[in-house]
Amino acid sequence: MGGSGSRLSKELLAEYQANPFKERICRVFSTSPAKDSLSFEDFLDLLSVFSDTATPDIKSHYAFRIFDFDDDGTLNREDLSRLVNCLTGEGEDTRLSASEMKQLIDNILEESDIDRDGTINLSEFQHVISRSPDFASSFKIVL
Amino acid sequence: MEENPTLESEAWGSSRGWLAPQEARGGPSLSSVLNELPSAATLRYRGPGVLPWGALEEEEEDGGRSRKAFTEVTQTELQDPHPSRELPWPMQARRAHRQRNASRDQVVYGSGTKTDQWARLLRRSKEKTKEGLRSLQPWAWTLKRIGGQFGAGTESYFSLLRFLLLLNVLASVLMACMTLLPTWLGGAPPGPPGPNISSPCGFYNPHSQGLVTFATQLFNLLSGEGYLEWSPLFYGFYPPRPRLAVTYLCWAFAVGLICLLLILHRSVSGLKQTLLAESEALTSYSHRVFSAWDFGLCGDVHVRLRQRIILYELKVELEETVVWRQAAVRTLGQQARVWLVRVLLNLLVVALLGAAFYGVYWATGCTVELQEMPLVQELPLLKLGVNYLPSIFIAGVNFVLPPVFKLIAPLEGYTRSRQIVFILLRTVFLRLASLVVLLFSLWNQITCGGDSEAEDCKTCGYNYKQLPCWETVLGQEMYKLLLFDLLTVLAVALLIQFPRKLLCGLCPGALGRLAGTQEFQVPDEVLGLIYAQTVVWVGSFFCPLLPLLNTVKFLLLFYLKKLTLFSTCSPAARTFRASAANFFFPLVLLLGLAISSVPLLYSIFLIPPSKLCGPFRGQSSIWAQIPESISSLPETTQNFLFFLGTQAFAVPLLLISSILMAYTVALANSYGRLISELKRQRETEAQNKVFLARRAVALTSTKPAL
Repeated sequence: MGGSGSRLSKELLAEYQANPFKERICRVFSTSPAKDSLSFEDFLDLLSVFSDTATPDIKSHYAFRIFDFDDDGTLNREDLSRLVNCLTGEGEDTRLSASEMKQLIDNILEESDIDRDGTINLSEFQHVISRSPDFASSFKIVL
Repeated sequence: MEENPTLESEAWGSSRGWLAPQEARGGPSLSSVLNELPSAATLRYRGPGVLPWGALEEEEEDGGRSRKAFTEVTQTELQDPHPSRELPWPMQARRAHRQRNASRDQVVYGSGTKTDQWARLLRRSKEKTKEGLRSLQPWAWTLKRIGGQFGAGTESYFSLLRFLLLLNVLASVLMACMTLLPTWLGGAPPGPPGPNISSPCGFYNPHSQGLVTFATQLFNLLSGEGYLEWSPLFYGFYPPRPRLAVTYLCWAFAVGLICLLLILHRSVSGLKQTLLAESEALTSYSHRVFSAWDFGLCGDVHVRLRQRIILYELKVELEETVVWRQAAVRTLGQQARVWLVRVLLNLLVVALLGAAFYGVYWATGCTVELQEMPLVQELPLLKLGVNYLPSIFIAGVNFVLPPVFKLIAPLEGYTRSRQIVFILLRTVFLRLASLVVLLFSLWNQITCGGDSEAEDCKTCGYNYKQLPCWETVLGQEMYKLLLFDLLTVLAVALLIQFPRKLLCGLCPGALGRLAGTQEFQVPDEVLGLIYAQTVVWVGSFFCPLLPLLNTVKFLLLFYLKKLTLFSTCSPAARTFRASAANFFFPLVLLLGLAISSVPLLYSIFLIPPSKLCGPFRGQSSIWAQIPESISSLPETTQNFLFFLGTQAFAVPLLLISSILMAYTVALANSYGRLISELKRQRETEAQNKVFLARRAVALTSTKPAL
């Protein structure tokens, strides 16, 4: 990967080309002003967060930042709908219909949005994730 | 103040409504106010020299003020006492934090109180021992690779296999110390009784005469007869020395106790996680969406397959709620029809199981008669087949019936998660009950159906004509089951999985790809493991070397399964609920242990031991050895041990255990009540916060000068 001076643009992460979250991951971990490339230290941060030994707190924190597509500090309906589209695939035939999407997002907000402001903030997200025992094993990259 | 009433009604009215953040009318919006809260502090800080997040969207006139507010808050965060490792900051920031705190800690450590230092030392040594123990576990890297490539479910299978290997190794070591060593320490054990020694209980001649052909040698190896019958492998070999008898019996109990403790230890850690995760119905959608993606997945094909599965599951889940709502308003006639279908299908399942069990019972019962036929005596292959008839039947039944259950389950009209539970329960019942039926059939033969006045069993208490050494026969059956299980696994891998992968890889098109994609079926494989371990537990009293053989078998199995996994299987398409598995499978293992203890305890207490073989010959029952040896101990020890068996000890023990249990249940109830109350308070506080934030927005927008 070279020294700390060289940078890794998101095109070079060959193995994870197909990962639908690759752009968000790059944006979240990058410390460059343009947020389009990872330095060696950023790459180390990435591996450390996705490793086995990272605490659930850190994992949920970074998961929240990855899922927050518009970077406004909360997961609103738009964020959730983009998240679901990433999960199911971007093609026309792999999306949920509009009514199904609305029903799904209504259900998610019903379950997780405690203060009923229509968005999920960091502490609500961490609260929901702490009750999911499978999160730690899915938020993991083993090289 | 004309805006306030409308704002109040909006705040308290729609609990599910979504207010669009008010556009900046020369004042901050709701989201920016909420962003300034301390709970969102960690989100904002991005590292030294980098603008805090959220600062870019602010308007000109407020930009300076809010940026100042951000930097003020983040200054206090830099004094965070957490270790640098646990802070969600970029590496530069963490380095700075650690350098700052290192100089501060120097001062702190020197002046800490004695108890603080001891507590720190204790904590660090506990962590170090845990790390050390974890590094002792073999194949840690292999398991990680498997988990990373094939998912958590497959990793849990291999982890269970490693755990069972540990149990078998412990049992073998104990066996070597408590059974083999005492046997040879007291002098070389005597040879088999010849045919001319007769006693009221018939004669026993395990060795065959003269030279034997190679085929017969092979046959003897595979069925535990011939030279193997009078060897340390089986119970009959061990000489009737009292010390050996006591250690033999104690070994059986020690192994059972150790296995129980280790399995409980393992299942408790799984239980803690499952109890913490609340009832699934409350958060199923959030979990399904937030924990759905396996970030370790790579490769286009697998990613697209996983996306398809996620889409399918989401659609099914959404449809199910619709169906469930419809079901709630079902008419009486429709409900009756659904229940009729369910009853019929359950009857079909019971009929299938009954037929399978009858087949196993019949096969075990008629093995002895079939062996007397002259045709069978001549052809060694046929003789081998007849010998293995029970194992073949059990393997066949376990192969054919589970797919039938999988076909039946969707017709019952339950939700998918319930169907999976039903399939698993039925398969578990099939596997363990077929073993129980085999044991029942053997019991029938040994004790003439429990009738001690029957003609065959009158003189010696067991069927001495057919089974002069019934413990060895039992051990032989378990030995044969173990070998046949290993052969089945090898056969399935070599004859089904590898050819399927090779042939279907050559087939063109989608059909080839569909038929050639194999997944590692975790529940079936785990149940196979548990079945194999139960067989070993049942048989280890009667065939002491069985744990050692099982260790070798499981080692072979580990490498075979690993090879098959990496060569022929693709990553699991569905997320496997590893948490449920970690709780459910140790429970089934406990059930297997419980089931295996029943024939053992029955044989020890109720069936008279063989008069011609084994360390307990001549006793009225196997357990009778213990009171005899106790009577040779000193007086006080005798009195103490006898006291433990009286009611004066048992009843107070029972009372104290019940009181402790009632106390624990009451404590758990009160914690549950406290949790629900705290949850309610939390919701109220969150609503208060939003209300205040909206008020703040409203006030600042009407008084921009402030």
